[in-house]
Amino acid sequence: MKNELTYSEAFSKLEDLVEQLEDGNIQLDKLSTKVKQANELIAICESKLRSIDAEIKVATKATPTRQKKKNGS
Amino acid sequence: MTEQIKLSELLDQIQDTIQTRFDGEVFWIEAQIMNVKKQAQNRRCYLTLEEYENGNKTADARGVFWANNYNQIENFEKVTKQIFKDGINIICKVRVRYHKVYGLNLDIIQIDLAHTLGTLELERQQTLERLVKENPKTIQLFDGVYKTLNNRLPLPLVIGKIALITAPNSDGQRDFQQEIKLNKHQYTFSVSEFLTTIQGDNAHKLILEQLKLIEKSNENFDVVAIVRGGGSQTDFKPFDDYELAKCVAHFPFPIFTGIGHDRNQSIVDLMAREQKTPTKVASLFVERNFEFENKLIELKTNLFDLVKEQLENAKEELNNAKRIVKLSSPQAILDRGFAIITINDKIITDPKDIEDKSELQTLLRNEIIFSTVIKKTKNEK
Repeated sequence: MKNELTYSEAFSKLEDLVEQLEDGNIQLDKLSTKVKQANELIAICESKLRSIDAEIKVATKATPTRQKKKNGS
Repeated sequence: MTEQIKLSELLDQIQDTIQTRFDGEVFWIEAQIMNVKKQAQNRRCYLTLEEYENGNKTADARGVFWANNYNQIENFEKVTKQIFKDGINIICKVRVRYHKVYGLNLDIIQIDLAHTLGTLELERQQTLERLVKENPKTIQLFDGVYKTLNNRLPLPLVIGKIALITAPNSDGQRDFQQEIKLNKHQYTFSVSEFLTTIQGDNAHKLILEQLKLIEKSNENFDVVAIVRGGGSQTDFKPFDDYELAKCVAHFPFPIFTGIGHDRNQSIVDLMAREQKTPTKVASLFVERNFEFENKLIELKTNLFDLVKEQLENAKEELNNAKRIVKLSSPQAILDRGFAIITINDKIITDPKDIEDKSELQTLLRNEIIFSTVIKKTKNEK
């Protein structure tokens, strides 16, 4: 599994796997492999999502949000 | 020796004759006023009433407004927005009076304002028509509204650099600067003042000079404000001047006027963007920036909301996938009490793949059962 996958690429592959798993027509030995692959993709996605979340929190704090001003305030 | 009489006796006779002929009578006359000498303190005004034909003077008489009629002049200036001064053509009601020391005088009792307004309006219309006719690409009239190169210039989203044309130490200057400096949103503006006289005979030329200075300054002004305080007697004429109006119509920075009047618009107002007062011009600049800031805050809020929403969606999608993957693992299936039937390690999902005597492996959580099929029937449940 390449680590340099983007979140979208990783999630798109995960979605494909999930679709195959939902169909249920997979050989037993392949099923284990697919589940393993899926878990790796989930780990990648979770890690990316966590770092995006942290980055956004930093960006949001850097520009303090002012309340929308009302005339006369 | 011929009989002689005293000068005073002769003048008495003239006075009597004139009085007999004109006593109690009033006349409406049309004349140009010259040598106007206003004495505001004792409320008198002396002038000459003159008439010209082909450039030659054909009549000349002294005229005077006495204190009880001095308000005619004040009213004239108030209504026509024009200073009562040399060169103006008026129609006025006069009474003939002769005095043996002071000579012949016409006491002016009333001025026909409608005539002056009519003349002014006619001149104004002629100037407007000339502007449109001589500048067809840059000054156009649509449904009573003048569209000029200047008043169609887009306004910057944020106004920061202002060129201010106004009179030094005037109400207009003070009102404008006060509104800008003490604005309630605490925005900072850079105001460059271009000071000049804004009233009187040469005002249009002086304002024009300031506009040229602004243009030559190479400063990138966001807007130009031409302001003049209200309240004082205002001379409207400079702002109806053809050359000034033409310059304003073609000026490269948006011009706003606040020249303190409420009756009607000057031609310069029509060529630019008009606000009634200096304060209103300044407050429009402040409001423009306020609107922009609000849009910015709104965009920022929307952006953060959208990002948050997208992140939440992504988390939810990932959690769904995780759940399905977890449920799909063979161990999870067996842990829930299900069995998996395989023939030669291939999971059997279709009973047709099972025949009599087939050797099956039934996978349970902890055990595998090996069996041989002895009978197959339909599941009637």
